[in-house]
Amino acid sequence: MLSRSLKIGIVCPYSWDTPGGVQNHIRDLAEFLIESGHDVSVLAPAIDESNLPEYVVHAGKPISIPYNGAVARVLFGPVAFARVRQWISQGEFDLLHLHEPAIPSISLLACWAADGPMVGTFHAAAKRQKIIFAIGPILEPAIEKLSARIAVSEAARLTLTDHLDTDAVIIPNGIYANRYTDGKVLEKWSGNTIGFIGRFEEPRKGLSVLVDALPVISRFAPDVKIFVAGPGDPAEIIEGIDPQLRQRFEFLGKITESEKADFMSSVAVYVAPNTGGESFGIILAEALAGGACVVASDIPAFDDLLGHGEFGELFESESSTELAKVVIDLLRDEAKRKELSARGKERAKMFDWTFVAQQICSVYEMSIVGSHKVRLASDTRPWNRFSSKEEKQ
Amino acid sequence: MESILKQRGEAMTRWLVSALLVLLVLWYLTFTATRLDRLHHRVETSWANLDVLLQKRAAVALEIAHSDIADPASSMLLTAAAYQARDANIQNRSQAESGLSGALGLLLEDSQHLATAADSALLTELSGLTDKIRVAIAIHTDAVARTQMVRAKLIVRIFRLAGTAPLPITYEFESDVL
Repeated sequence: MLSRSLKIGIVCPYSWDTPGGVQNHIRDLAEFLIESGHDVSVLAPAIDESNLPEYVVHAGKPISIPYNGAVARVLFGPVAFARVRQWISQGEFDLLHLHEPAIPSISLLACWAADGPMVGTFHAAAKRQKIIFAIGPILEPAIEKLSARIAVSEAARLTLTDHLDTDAVIIPNGIYANRYTDGKVLEKWSGNTIGFIGRFEEPRKGLSVLVDALPVISRFAPDVKIFVAGPGDPAEIIEGIDPQLRQRFEFLGKITESEKADFMSSVAVYVAPNTGGESFGIILAEALAGGACVVASDIPAFDDLLGHGEFGELFESESSTELAKVVIDLLRDEAKRKELSARGKERAKMFDWTFVAQQICSVYEMSIVGSHKVRLASDTRPWNRFSSKEEKQ
Repeated sequence: MESILKQRGEAMTRWLVSALLVLLVLWYLTFTATRLDRLHHRVETSWANLDVLLQKRAAVALEIAHSDIADPASSMLLTAAAYQARDANIQNRSQAESGLSGALGLLLEDSQHLATAADSALLTELSGLTDKIRVAIAIHTDAVARTQMVRAKLIVRIFRLAGTAPLPITYEFESDVL
């Protein structure tokens, strides 16, 4: 851990009050750092200014733009740039931690405006895009100012090396593992049950793959039940299910953290059929911590997180027959389920905040060595130095 | 009369455009020079930092060699490797450090279960150092690579934007041994 208390500025590129992995990560990290005695300020856009925690500084109202197959709520423009500069010059930070500095939002603006120790975390994983030829020359000098780069997974690191020709240290996203370890096994969710958590309306979460696999699964396990938790309107999904199998599905709506812990301990198999767009898979880390036996699609992030099948079963992404086969095998083999869940619980310790934050702090420490505090880049330009000297005289 | 005015106007625009172009080129040159200066600075500080960490590691390795963790044979190996790493000149440095990593790795592999409480403090210190060294290496190699890339640009070479700063050398680390 760090030897002294630091003043750390964290920049969140997405709207604080829309749910998302990056926002959750920043919230947990900021709270963990504050708990360990550091002074943290988070700069973030937000739709509703009144409902922000104490450590968050409002940067403005976000703009919705289509990005990476979804709508991203980001913020940029001259007013936002001025706000970012003001936050930097008033903050007197020892270090800036910028999240997703390669997307057009305030993280990039902060990277452009600041001078001094900066750490960047790259969350997104995407296939190589042609557009990078056009924006590369603009991004590169900015990204280069980061003293250290962190990628949340191997997939995110590859995205970074492909697009910007630079390397990164891999530090996974954190979870509070002990929140999930003492879940109770509840009668209503146990037995031959399959669990799914996520915003099921989004096609990339892959609930349809699970729906397609159900006819085969129910032939071998007639009493199987599927519990789907997460926000959204199930009407459309229910319509797409064979009427005879509809009562096999139960939609639970959004569940709380403690319910999640019980859920993970109770269900026989937890399924993550995501078809892509996932860079880390925090829900899988939580499932492992809760002692669930996990079945996931073999997209790079999941393959990596599950140690190529060591800590959970993998199936070919988007193939419902493969999924059905894996699930049936597991439902029949209780010993194997127990073994996987025990190994998974061990694995989840790697993602606990105490461990993850320690690694992040070592990166912080390495970045601030031999550097001054963060200041505005424009203050160090030669002509400005000249004029400020004149003012002093 | 009108044609003269028109001619003057054209000359004026030509002047304005070329002045703008010159300004743009000047801006780009200062921008690149600042960028390069920042990179050179990063190469130096990151190397200094890495050097300190590696020296510390050699010291910890010596302490481990003298403690109960190491048996006489591995103690000898470790001591030799630590001294080599300390005394190595810049050319042999990375090889010597990799040797030390290897020696430490050998020892740690089987000492994990039998370390006593007093010795495990040394081992935690070592693993903390190893974490930091890994990050420091990443920062340093990246700074070197970026600097070399920017310095290879034609405009940098023509205008000698790098000044008298020496070209940083790539330092090969076998990071997988760490």
